[in-house]
Amino acid sequence: MPIIKKTPLLSAVLGAALLSVALLPAQPVQADETCMSPFMAKITGQEDYVYVWTLGVEGLGDGQDKLVTIDVNPASADYGKVINSLSVGGRNEAHHSGLTDDRKYLWAGGLDTNKIFIFDVATDPAKPSLTKVITDFTAASDGVVGPHTTYALPGRMMITGLSNNKDHGGRTAMVEYTNDGDYLATYWMPTDANLEGAEKSGQFADGYGYDLRALPRLNAMFTSSFTGWSNYMMDFGKMLQDEEAMKRFGNTMVVWNLHSRKPEKVLDVPGAPLEVRCAWGPHNDWCVTTTALTSKIWLVHKDAEKGWQATEVADIGDPAKIPLPVDISLTADDKGLWVNSFMDGMTRYFDMSDPFHPKQVYEKQIGKQVNMASQSWDGKRVYYTSSLLGNWDKKGEDNEQFFKAYDWNGTELVEKFAIDFNAEKLGRAHQMRFGARSLYTQSRPETASNKLAETLVK
Amino acid sequence: MARLLRGMAIVLAFFLPVALVAQALPQTVPQAASTPASPAASVTPSAPGYGELPYALPPAGSYALPPLGLAADGKVLDEQGHEQDLYHLFAGKYVLLSFIYSNCRDVNGCPLSSYVLYKIKARLQQQDADLADKLQLVSLSFDPERDTPAVMRLYGKNFQYAGPRGDWRFLTTASEAALAPLLAAYKQDIQREITVNGAQSDDYSHLLRVFLIDPQHRIRNIYSVAFLHPDIVINDVRTLLMASNQQPDNALQLAANSLLSRPGDSKAGYASEAYQTDSLALTQRQGEALDLLALAKNPPLGLPPATADTLSQEKIQLGRKLFYDRRLSFNDTFSCAMCHIPEQGFTNNEIATSVGVEGRSGRRNAPTLYNVAYASRLFHDGRDSRLEEQIWQPLLAHNEMANPSVGYILDKLRNTPDYQGLFEAAFDGQGIAMQTLGTALAAYERSLLAADSAFDRWYFGKDENAISMAAKQGFQLFSGKARCITCHSVDKDKGYALFTDQKLHNTGLGYQESMGIRPAKRRVALAPGVFVDVDQSLIDQVSAPPLKDLGLYEITQNPADRWKYLTPGLRNVALTAPYMHNGRFASLKAVIQFYNQGGIPNETLSPLIQPLNLTETEMGDLQAFLETLTGSNVDTLVADAFAAPVGDLTQADPNWANQLDKQPPETSP
Repeated sequence: MPIIKKTPLLSAVLGAALLSVALLPAQPVQADETCMSPFMAKITGQEDYVYVWTLGVEGLGDGQDKLVTIDVNPASADYGKVINSLSVGGRNEAHHSGLTDDRKYLWAGGLDTNKIFIFDVATDPAKPSLTKVITDFTAASDGVVGPHTTYALPGRMMITGLSNNKDHGGRTAMVEYTNDGDYLATYWMPTDANLEGAEKSGQFADGYGYDLRALPRLNAMFTSSFTGWSNYMMDFGKMLQDEEAMKRFGNTMVVWNLHSRKPEKVLDVPGAPLEVRCAWGPHNDWCVTTTALTSKIWLVHKDAEKGWQATEVADIGDPAKIPLPVDISLTADDKGLWVNSFMDGMTRYFDMSDPFHPKQVYEKQIGKQVNMASQSWDGKRVYYTSSLLGNWDKKGEDNEQFFKAYDWNGTELVEKFAIDFNAEKLGRAHQMRFGARSLYTQSRPETASNKLAETLVK
Repeated sequence: MARLLRGMAIVLAFFLPVALVAQALPQTVPQAASTPASPAASVTPSAPGYGELPYALPPAGSYALPPLGLAADGKVLDEQGHEQDLYHLFAGKYVLLSFIYSNCRDVNGCPLSSYVLYKIKARLQQQDADLADKLQLVSLSFDPERDTPAVMRLYGKNFQYAGPRGDWRFLTTASEAALAPLLAAYKQDIQREITVNGAQSDDYSHLLRVFLIDPQHRIRNIYSVAFLHPDIVINDVRTLLMASNQQPDNALQLAANSLLSRPGDSKAGYASEAYQTDSLALTQRQGEALDLLALAKNPPLGLPPATADTLSQEKIQLGRKLFYDRRLSFNDTFSCAMCHIPEQGFTNNEIATSVGVEGRSGRRNAPTLYNVAYASRLFHDGRDSRLEEQIWQPLLAHNEMANPSVGYILDKLRNTPDYQGLFEAAFDGQGIAMQTLGTALAAYERSLLAADSAFDRWYFGKDENAISMAAKQGFQLFSGKARCITCHSVDKDKGYALFTDQKLHNTGLGYQESMGIRPAKRRVALAPGVFVDVDQSLIDQVSAPPLKDLGLYEITQNPADRWKYLTPGLRNVALTAPYMHNGRFASLKAVIQFYNQGGIPNETLSPLIQPLNLTETEMGDLQAFLETLTGSNVDTLVADAFAAPVGDLTQADPNWANQLDKQPPETSP
């Protein structure tokens, strides 16, 4: 019963010469593959597929949200092509997705309709199928709106919310489900009126939520804070001009006891801290986030005397111009951080050798707008998508919608291929997750890649 | 060549993950290397279960372990080869169930789970002796071909040195076929590994999962490598044992009434770096139902006589249920209350203009519904006149609730289980129809009467101490120099005041917006006390084209009616920010300043709007007066709203996604 899946499976070996997969347990070995939950199998070699959770656009193609599968294995005849598109009905504000700990199912949330779509990515990794839709997330959770991060825990999924069904504001909760899609519990973010035993360490306890990551070896879980439904669904320009709306952004991160699911400390991190990535190294007791509005890198680190602290460690671009940092991706060795900023379409690479003093060492404009970044475990490939939120994306010609694949050679990004999601009538490309056939030994569908494998055998 | 490629790939595939793991795993030294279950000394184990837990656990009983579903029963073979039901062997105790196979060699796999179970059994001898008869340890093989009952019996003997107390069973199954349903039920997705020459090896791959099961056969925790530790398991068992004695989780008191009419996360003072949150917990958002019919029939001091002739408890209650039901929108995300939020003055304090289904932009600020029973014209442009009929505008508008047709929403309600019979009961047997739906919603809205304000007690009740001197002076200004009363009428002779002439006027705000008159830069808050001045051109990159709004002209097509909007009543005005038809002003002070300047000049500006030349003190007095208009009973209405059910999509509702597994794909004949 190895923790490392040392199966050089024939299909994978032949179809993808460098593919390897590790079933890594809850240890500080992680990398997006480097942003995945540490509780699941990792693809440490060449990934075969990228699943892109894509927002439907009214009047474009079939107008609905879809899971788009792209073949990204250079050894495949279908390399660089969309090989599958699975429409799920409606525009749900498709946003983030996450795999279960056994990596057989992809849970993808809709921030607007509160549906969670569960795809089987194991039976045929090249052609996911929709097996279940959780339609009663809000009713079951007693009012949580906006399922965002779907984070794997052993046999369970923890889902962060962004809003609630009472005022569509930012106060919200985390919701726990079984891998079967059965509701378990709701954990409300601490507020001033009910800190739930947590310490309010600064000025803020707003009760807002966004992302979630864990450091299991320290029994710690971290949540960040964004904004409620009224803002994330609103036209971006309208919101920027709305004085009241701009006050409704999160300014906190919360440190939770992972085992008891209880909040322990509320940290001030002003300016909407979004994505959270925790270090992989066994002695790196820190996580990193970026604040969307104030354009800063923040480090949440464990101080021997003061416990968990949040420290502002770097600017991203020129904060006065609101570059709007969005997705980030930490390298597997904790020494590099990709930071995307939406407004200027830039990706920036920070040297994190000293996490208290990140230094930008590279930058490149990916497009007129960019949001998500996902890198392979070895850091040699980085993928980008364009969409932030349906009503926040740029308008007119600036509204590029793409998936772009790059190689990273340590000094520069080299574009390998791009797919225009507008031209393909797909929609707004958002979050990416990786797939590999070798994860599922008993499923070896007839795909172009397998045919290629047969060719190689001859 | 193909063989060479394959061999290279196998080597890479085998070693790359191993290398990464070796680099990153913490170097933990096994605590009890001499125990029979401890791993070979030549291997450095990494799982925390082998060592001291590096953090303090939460106290037992201080947290919950919600059931994760039923643990499956099944036929197994005991150490003597007798077939038994798994449930029988669970023996009515808490159970720690581990799937293993006896020749497993991975230190962080089966040896880890058996080591942890061994340590737990050792603790049952003395340290945790009270658990010895409450906890059943079970190791079940998933390799029935090799792990016969005899092999499992021998395997179990390895652990006899843990001590006599506590029971640990070593089980297997009769065949892989007998095992399969158990593996499926516990989601033990095992794969026999393949050797480099393509043959099946003796090793398995699977994720380590050890199950804690309660006496009711419910799974209460699942431990992976990171969590499988004796301290954690015993803490969890003790937590489950204490559950029946646990106090309710943070029993909360209903917030004091005076706190109810305010946004749940107050942003007062956000412009200052000294800002501190003052957020309420949504779990505190609880209230008590009010006799709304009695209120509607007996309006509080300061309001006109009742309009409630046709109301009934059943109609009001049905309307209240509908009002808070988000399923009334096309995609089940919007109720009336998402724009008319009870604790925010039945409007929305948090945005200037409304946002509808899919985030579509509305042009106007959501008006308050307090005292809407007396409105003779509805919507900011006065396009409707009866509450019973106006509901179809928001229900059908593409940028509000977006239902595709009248029939769609009526059919949806007819097929929604929790509305069965409610309309018939409220309307003498009449079912769901346009008229009954409109009447029910209007019935609730007609009951939202809020008055008996401090002003009313002074002005109509003759209580000289009800309001301050400043407020009295403010009312003098309101009625005199400031000329507010010209449009915001007060009928002293009739004994009531609605503070509206129910007419429409042009103040210039609509004109300004239509003409795109705006500053080149806009001040934007990034965080408390942190602002930047942003170029409008940057904002335009992410802005949809502005929505045109010509006010009353859109209804009459009379050019004289351009940019005319309905005079709002001023009761409860302190609760209903932001103000004006487009939510332009965040505070009453800003509104007063706007009128003091005489509005914005334009061709059809109302002649009633002129510079007022009020001093700062006078403007302060005016504001003091406006703040006396909050009804004394608003918090009871809010508390009643908190007690109302919020409707959300359930699995019982008509929605295609609820029947996903029942829909056969279309096939060609």
